Amino acid sequence: MFGLIGHLTNLSHAQRVARDLGYDEYASHDLEFWCMAPPQAVDEITITSVTGQVIHGQYVESCFLPEMLAQGRFKTAMRKILNAMALVQKRGIDITALGGFSSIIFENFSLDKLLNVRDITLDIQRFTTGNTHTAYILCQQVEQGAVRYGIDPAKATVAVVGATGDIGSAVCRWLTDRAGIHELLLVARDAERLDRLQQELGTGRILPVEEALPKADIVVWVASMNQGMAIDPAGLRTPCLLIDGGYPKNMAGTLQRPGIHILDGGMVEHSLDIDWQIMSFLNVPNPARQFFACFAESMLLEFEGLHFNFSWGRNHITVEKMAQIGSLSKKHGFRPLLEPSQRSGELVHG
Amino acid sequence: MNRTAPSSAALDYRSDTYRDAYSRINAIVLEGEREAHANYLTLAEMLPDHAEALKKLAAMENRHFKGFQSCARNLEVTPDDPFARAYFEQLDGNFQQAAAEGDLTTCMVIQALIIECFAIAAYNVYIPVADAFARKVTEGVVKDEYTHLNFGQQWLKERFVTVREGIERANAQNLPIVWRMLNAVEADTEVLQMDKEAIVEDFMIAYGEALGDIGFSMRDVMKMSARGLASAPRQ
Ligand SMILES: NC(=O)C1=CN([C@@H]2O[C@H](COP(=O)(O)OP(=O)(O)OC[C@H]3O[C@@H](n4cnc5c(N)ncnc54)[C@H](OP(=O)(O)O)[C@@H]3O)[C@@H](O)[C@H]2O)C=CC1
Ligand SMILES: [Fe+2]
Ligand SMILES: [Fe+2]
Repeated sequence: MFGLIGHLTNLSHAQRVARDLGYDEYASHDLEFWCMAPPQAVDEITITSVTGQVIHGQYVESCFLPEMLAQGRFKTAMRKILNAMALVQKRGIDITALGGFSSIIFENFSLDKLLNVRDITLDIQRFTTGNTHTAYILCQQVEQGAVRYGIDPAKATVAVVGATGDIGSAVCRWLTDRAGIHELLLVARDAERLDRLQQELGTGRILPVEEALPKADIVVWVASMNQGMAIDPAGLRTPCLLIDGGYPKNMAGTLQRPGIHILDGGMVEHSLDIDWQIMSFLNVPNPARQFFACFAESMLLEFEGLHFNFSWGRNHITVEKMAQIGSLSKKHGFRPLLEPSQRSGELVHG
Repeated sequence: MNRTAPSSAALDYRSDTYRDAYSRINAIVLEGEREAHANYLTLAEMLPDHAEALKKLAAMENRHFKGFQSCARNLEVTPDDPFARAYFEQLDGNFQQAAAEGDLTTCMVIQALIIECFAIAAYNVYIPVADAFARKVTEGVVKDEYTHLNFGQQWLKERFVTVREGIERANAQNLPIVWRMLNAVEADTEVLQMDKEAIVEDFMIAYGEALGDIGFSMRDVMKMSARGLASAPRQ
């Protein structure tokens, strides 16, 4: 069985979901309540591969909310993730994806030193960050999205916001190594890590975000922001392809301007309907088929019986591993989501 | 960017502030163990078929009591017994009343589920911030408490259909008392560097698991274990 550990994007989102599910206690109370709430296995999942294989999984809501980080409640955030991990391990789940911020919290707060949770010791082999598949899918969205929206990759300047992150650095490696783009712009805050990345890649121009955006034909957003930033579409090129892979999203609100195209980054579309309920709470046009690439990685590992931490740590994702997970992704029927995001106000056809 | 969580300021177990808070917290722990001992003996009378097993649990609680007494002596603390007795009055009153009425289900819920989970949560949160002596004692105690929880769980599970409503009622009546009790000692637990939030979460994990095993659905568990949580007044 596979597992998915996830969280919602902010308190009001969490309250809305709780209300929709009929949990009044959770729906009408403030952050304090979520700070005390234990993880819950709230959904059972059945997914069929195009190969015909059928697997089962569980979704565990960690009750983590990004406001906990914004308010400096680090111990709370750490507890949510550790308790969610303990829950899936106790249930004997073989491989679980740490979705969204869960892997970031694990990494930033060195949870590998805190694996003793009450009466169990967490086994990291039972978990994956899901970042290899996410990075792969983002790169497919760049390459295929460019073609779809009339951007010639060979002439394209691509900005990666969050370039030094686990996913961001992997995207940079692939774009440098495998995609024939014109120029790569590296955007993040820490200068030292940017320098190291630039050295490793042997290419890439370091720029702050406000300077990178007007120069970019394609922007891959994959920074770990507690909340999105406001972007003025007037300052962007046209055509411009914005691929927002942040969770919560890196770009706040909707952006409407002819020639601006937005994709929900790091999302896949399956070839078959999936039996679950959780995705109907996230703003995707077709929740039966569209979902996060990091979750998909856990499913791929389960399909293939690869029960180990395929994606782990930060900055270890290689182009080879991305190609490997990419071929498994295609094998089982996943495709990068290329439909315009609802954030763009573009009409979604059919 | 690697950011470690703010490390706990070094705890001075000998400071007046710490020992003052400890005099109340330790007293509460002692009172809890003392009442648990008495409650299991009461349950042994109510359930003669299980008397052997229940008397063993009572004996374990007595050992816990002595263990925690030595923790107080180790820190040269005198537990505040009157405070602790008053602290447990309402919860204990409900147990005694249920026992007098022969209401086994309520007795089981109060002692074998609620009090055990409360103890498990508090001890789990205490262990990482306890002095070395108390840590060893508490680690041993927690192991026992899990078996106590298991006893009540099994008993209720075997009779789920008949006792279901009784569990719901006992839960509704007594869980809010636990939240109030936790709020009442928040200042003292903070001195001991025990996070109230963490205690509640740990409680809900143990309690939720037990309720789920007994036969309640996930939806029921979520509703039951959160009962009265948000309305408990905060300091
Ligand atoms: N769609 C999906 O399936 C998935 C999405 N995600 C999302 O992807 C994002 C990144 O995840 P991951 O790679 O694991 O995270 P990491 O922590 O490894 O990397 C985050 C990166 O963002 C940078 N960053 C943070 N804040 C800013 C800012 N304000 N401006 C510019 N750069 C910033 C960091 O560098 P610096 O601190 O130097 O600025 C770092 O390079 C998260 O939002 C996460 O939720 C994660 C997994 C799956
Ligand atoms: Fe005890
Ligand atoms: Fe006990």
